[in-house]
Order: sequence, then C-alpha cells, then structure tokens
Amino acid sequence: MSRNLWKFLNMLLVGILLLGVAGCTAPVAPAAPAPAGGAPAAAAPTGLEACQGQNLVLASMTDQYVAAFRALVPKFEEASGATVTLDELGYVDLYQKLIADFVGHTGNYDLMTVDIVWSGEFGQNGYTLPLDDFMARDEAELQLDDILPVAWTLGEWQGAHAAYPLAGYANVLNYRKDLLAQAGIEPPATQEELLAAAQALTDPAAGVYGIALLGAKGPAVAQDYMAWVQQHGGRILDDAGKPALNTPENVEILKFFGELFKYAPDGATDYWWDQRETAFRNGNVAMMEGWSIARAGYENPEISTVVGKVDIAVAPVKAGMEPKYGFGGWGIGINADSTPQEQECAWQFIKWLTSPEIQKEWLRNDGAPIRRSTMTDPEIVAEYPWMPVLLESFEKGDGDYRPRIPQYSIIQDALGTHVNAFLVGEETAEEALAAAQKQVEDNWQ
Amino acid sequence: MTVIQERQVVSRRRWGDGLRRALRGEGAYLAMLLPLLLFVAAIAIYPLLFSFRISLFKYRLTDPNQLQTFVGLDNYLRAFQDPIVLTSLRVTLIYVAGTVLLEMVLGLALALLLASEGRMIRGTRALLLLPMALPPLVVGLVWKSLYNADFGVIPYYLKALGVDVGRGPLAELGWAMPAVILIDVWQWTPLLMIIFLAGLKSLPVEPYEAAFADGATRWQRFIHITLPLLKPTLLVALLLRTMQSFKVFDVIYATTGGGPGSATTVLNFHIYTVGMTFFDMGYAAALANVLLVIIAILSVLYIMILERQQL
Repeated sequence: MSRNLWKFLNMLLVGILLLGVAGCTAPVAPAAPAPAGGAPAAAAPTGLEACQGQNLVLASMTDQYVAAFRALVPKFEEASGATVTLDELGYVDLYQKLIADFVGHTGNYDLMTVDIVWSGEFGQNGYTLPLDDFMARDEAELQLDDILPVAWTLGEWQGAHAAYPLAGYANVLNYRKDLLAQAGIEPPATQEELLAAAQALTDPAAGVYGIALLGAKGPAVAQDYMAWVQQHGGRILDDAGKPALNTPENVEILKFFGELFKYAPDGATDYWWDQRETAFRNGNVAMMEGWSIARAGYENPEISTVVGKVDIAVAPVKAGMEPKYGFGGWGIGINADSTPQEQECAWQFIKWLTSPEIQKEWLRNDGAPIRRSTMTDPEIVAEYPWMPVLLESFEKGDGDYRPRIPQYSIIQDALGTHVNAFLVGEETAEEALAAAQKQVEDNWQ
Repeated sequence: MTVIQERQVVSRRRWGDGLRRALRGEGAYLAMLLPLLLFVAAIAIYPLLFSFRISLFKYRLTDPNQLQTFVGLDNYLRAFQDPIVLTSLRVTLIYVAGTVLLEMVLGLALALLLASEGRMIRGTRALLLLPMALPPLVVGLVWKSLYNADFGVIPYYLKALGVDVGRGPLAELGWAMPAVILIDVWQWTPLLMIIFLAGLKSLPVEPYEAAFADGATRWQRFIHITLPLLKPTLLVALLLRTMQSFKVFDVIYATTGGGPGSATTVLNFHIYTVGMTFFDMGYAAALANVLLVIIAILSVLYIMILERQQL
C-alpha cells in the first residue's frame, strides 16, 4: 500500500476517534418527561369511546393471569374499538424490556403488569404515569372502597399510584389432605408445627417429601427467604429504611429456612417457581407455601395429579406472633411516555378490567382478585371454596415484606446469591448474611 | 447549439475519464474500502469508544436525572478490589481450561475417527453437527431439565445405578462446574471436529508414504507426522475456542444463573448482573473492558505463536 493511502487511513482513524470523543462530551440531556396524563381537555371523551381507533400494547408477565388477559382483551377490543396487542414475557425479560423502554423513552408498551416490588422503582423514577389524576376524575365509577386496603400496595409509592391493583396474591399453605390425614397430622398453624410436620411427612423411600421450597440462585430463593423472614417477624429494612440483613434474628431465621430444606426434595436448592409447582402437582411433596393464584390449577387434571387432595390454610407464622400474611401480586401501570390519547385509553382499559362485573370473569379465567365484592360473591365462593382463606390472608396481608423500594433489585440479588450459597453449604448462615449485607451496602444508591 | 452540445459531451467525457483514472489507481482501494471502513467505524469502533468513555463515569441507567459523573479510573480500581470479580475470574479460567482442553482432545479424536469417507461416516458427521446448530439458550434449558434432580432423566438413571446425585448436578457445589462444562463440550466439540477434519484433509500424502515405506507404526505416524503438520490448525482452534469460552454467558444464564452460590458465576455473568440488574453502566463497562483486554492479550499471544509456526 502506498504512503498516501496510509496517510488517508490514519486520518480517517483520527477522524473517527475525534468523532467518538465529540459524540461523548455532550452529556445526554434528560429527555423531558411526558406530560402527566391528568387534566385532559374538557371536551375529550372520558369513557370507552376515548379508545376508538387507538392501538395499545400490553406487556404481561406470563403468570397464570395471562390466560385471563387472553380471554378478556378481545372483549375489551369489542367494547371499545381499540386494538390491544398482548406481549407475554417471562419475569426477568419483562423487567429488562420495560426498563429499556422507560430509560430510552421509546414508549413501546402502553400498559404493563408491574410486580409489587417494582412499585418504588417505577414510581420514584416516573417510569409509569401516576394514576391519581385519573382516579380523582373518575372516582364515582371506581368503587375504590371495595378494593382491599392491602391491594393498594400493588403500585402505591409515597402516596401516589404508580400502578393500579390488578392481581392480589396471598402467601398461603397448600397441603395434601390425604397425606396429612394418613400421618394423623393437623394442618400446621405455626412455623414450629410446620417444621415438625415437614419432618414427619418426609419419606424418601416412598418419594414423598415434607415441603417444596424455592432454592434456586436468584430471585427465587431471595423471595422465599424473605417470606420466611416475614413469617418469623424478622425485617429486611431497619427503622431508618436502611438494609439490615445480618441481624441475629435474621441469622436464626435463615438457619430455620435451611432446616426446612432437609425435608424438601433433593433438587429443591435448584427450584425456580415452576419446578416447585411441578413437585407439588406431581405429588412429590406434602406441603408447599406459595402464591394463592396457583390454587385453582391443582384441581385441573390436565396439569395436576393431586386433584381433590389439596386444601389451603393461612400461612403459618411463628408461635406467639401477631398473624400477618405475605401479600404480593401485580399492579397494572401506564407508560409515562405514551401519548395522552393512549394513556386515556389505557386508563379506560384498567377501569374496565377492574370493574366489579369484569372482575368475576377475570377470576374465572385464572386471574386473581383485588375486590372484596368478588371474594365474597356467593357464586364465586361456591366455585372457589378457598376464597374465605384468601380473604383472611388479604385482610391481614403485609405487602411490604419484600421492600417495595427503588433499591429492591439490589437486595434481591444479594440475598439470591448468598442464601443459595448457605443452602448448598458454601457459606455459614452468618457469613452468608454478612456477605449479602456488604454487597447491598456496596451497591446502595 | 451544436457547439454547446459538443462541449457538454466533451466535459462529460472528461469527468468520466477522471473517475475511471481514479478507480484505476490507488483511489480504487479507497473507494472500495470506504463503505467497509464506515461500517466498521459505526458498528465496532464507535461502541468501543463509547464503552471506554462510559467506564470512566459513574453512570446509572435508571437514574431519573441521567447524571454522569466523571470518576476517572475509579471503576477499574473498584473492579480489582471487588471480591466477586476475583472469584468470577477464577471460575472463568476453570471453565475455559475445562471446556477447551476437553473439546480439543475429543474434537481431534472424533476427527481422526471420522476422517475416512463412506456413507455411514458421512451420516455420522452430519448428525454430530446438530448440537452446534441449536441456540445455546435452548441447549441450556434442555440440559437443565435433563439434570433436574427430581424429574430429570440423568439423575434418574444415575440413581438407578446406585449413584448418589445429592441435590442434582447443577445444584451441588462440586458438580455444577463439571456439569456446565459438559454442556459446552457437548455443543462445541463438533465445531473443533470440523476444523480438525479440514486440517487433516489438507495434509500432504508424501510424508505418510515415506513413513509407511520406513515401517512406522500408526502411533508413530500420528505423533511424528500428523500432530506436527496439524499444529497451525490446532492453534487456530485453540484460539477460537478460548476466546469464545471466555465470553460464555448464555449457557450459564439458562442453567445455573451463576449458582450454586457463586460456583459458576463467570465474569461475563457478573458483568450482566452489574449492567442489567443494577444498571450500573459505568462499572459494567469497566468490567467488560477488562474482559476485552484479557481476550485481546490472548489473541495477540496466539497470533504471535501462530506466525512463528508458519515461518
């Protein structure tokens, strides 16, 4: 190659470098947040007619309730004239796609299911539209009092509503009536009884274990451990709202959690939610604590071998503790970057979906309840006899046992790694929680 | 009129001549290279520079104000004090050593076995290529269910043979790493087999004829002729797989999530956690650049060895 060519190539490279640096020196200016959706023009329609010709995209977690979306979205389209595209995503994918959509201000998703633990993050950063203006405007139609108080933790952040209650889950104890009766054991009412029952019901030779638990590294084990912290009256945050993972109480609770794993199937330290469900539905375990939304599935012979053998009870708490039950589930939020017309239509969708009439359909199609009227409806109770247990769990529900703060994912990741490390014998309980605490502090913002 | 038209024709011809001349000389290189250079600049160089720049900043993607604070080399210093980085580097090295060594040996063995022609052999070769065609994520999920301690096929037969599988291959501290290495070996050995087959096919026949005349045994022919002649191919394969193996992410993501504990948390998985869970872009970029430098050094080393071999 000749000299001139070299010179040209070098100059080109320098040019590219300069271009790169120049492109870098201007810090990305924060894009102006889309105007809050409240205060629409007085003439703008505020009913379903606002949806005529609108196209919405709904990002939904592939939880059981996605079946209810599949069934109800066409009905909404018919009633409103809008088109709603349902995008079904797994838990981790949903979170990452939403965050990418929010920080890039691309506004791809107009509606999204919001896990209770994302409320703080989405609310604090203004990712989702605060729904308070809409709620104030349409208060007369919403029957807000009918929605259970604990359900409002699905999306509430510092007094505003980053998401609207969609699907309330209670942490309940599922147990096999037949196995417990065989062993002459009453459904455990306390954690101590739970441990004893798990021990008594474990019979590896028969392929039956006491309890199925979530042990897989990541969100699974972190969330299950936090459920046990709640049931033992422990705390993740201190009074000042700072993480306090390695308190002596929490170390004791972690040891108890580890004790339970002795009576879980061998593979439980690798269980994600679906494997835990499989273990219970296959009849490998006698008991399982888990979200109430899965309950209806145990009576479905297509996916369950334990039809008619299952009952549920409120999740046992530590002896002597004021009963409180883990509450979780999903809210539904509106993208702050969507156009005001899309936001109005999205709100109409939420309003329609959460209305008492549609809620019964929602529940019958594998949705989860948020309204007292749905849970006490005689028809519904006849179809789902476990509703009263759910209602009791909701009444004394604790939606904050997994801190709904913007830094939640940091806590979850640290616990997800170190609780798992404890369960597989890599760290002692003290080491695990100390390491988790340190990891959280190092990353705390 | 005619004069003007003639002039236009002449000027057009001149312009055409100029272009032709430019394309004939050095200009041709430039004209042909330019699209590629622009493409490389946009696709490779700009993101690289951006990632380097970001690594000097404290930049959290989810920060509502999108603040970027210049912190100099803090992110890099933090990387070398981060206990997870050090553990994950060690884990990555074990993974790379395990996968590359096993795949080289098995790949070479398979290539030798399947070097001759024949319908059966051709069919077998085609079948062996199948794993390579599958997306690593799918491979990971399939193996995860195969390995499952309670419902998986592999533990089922192991148990039947009286082997204690404990919590299952992916959940036991000592077994998780060999288990994920096995997945990688299953998927990528065929690639090395192909590379080695190509190398074997291109070897000259004369040395073998001479060796045959001298009465060398098969083993002697392999050690003294095949291996030395195959060295350049071996090195190319080694380089390729080492670099790929260093960057492993998908199989780990789909099977263990870096667990149990941190037994399979490779560096790339840690970078993913920092970037996509904490959205700590500055630190993630710094870690990614560290990985990049490691891989670059390895590549340069291998290329140097390779060139010396060929001289």
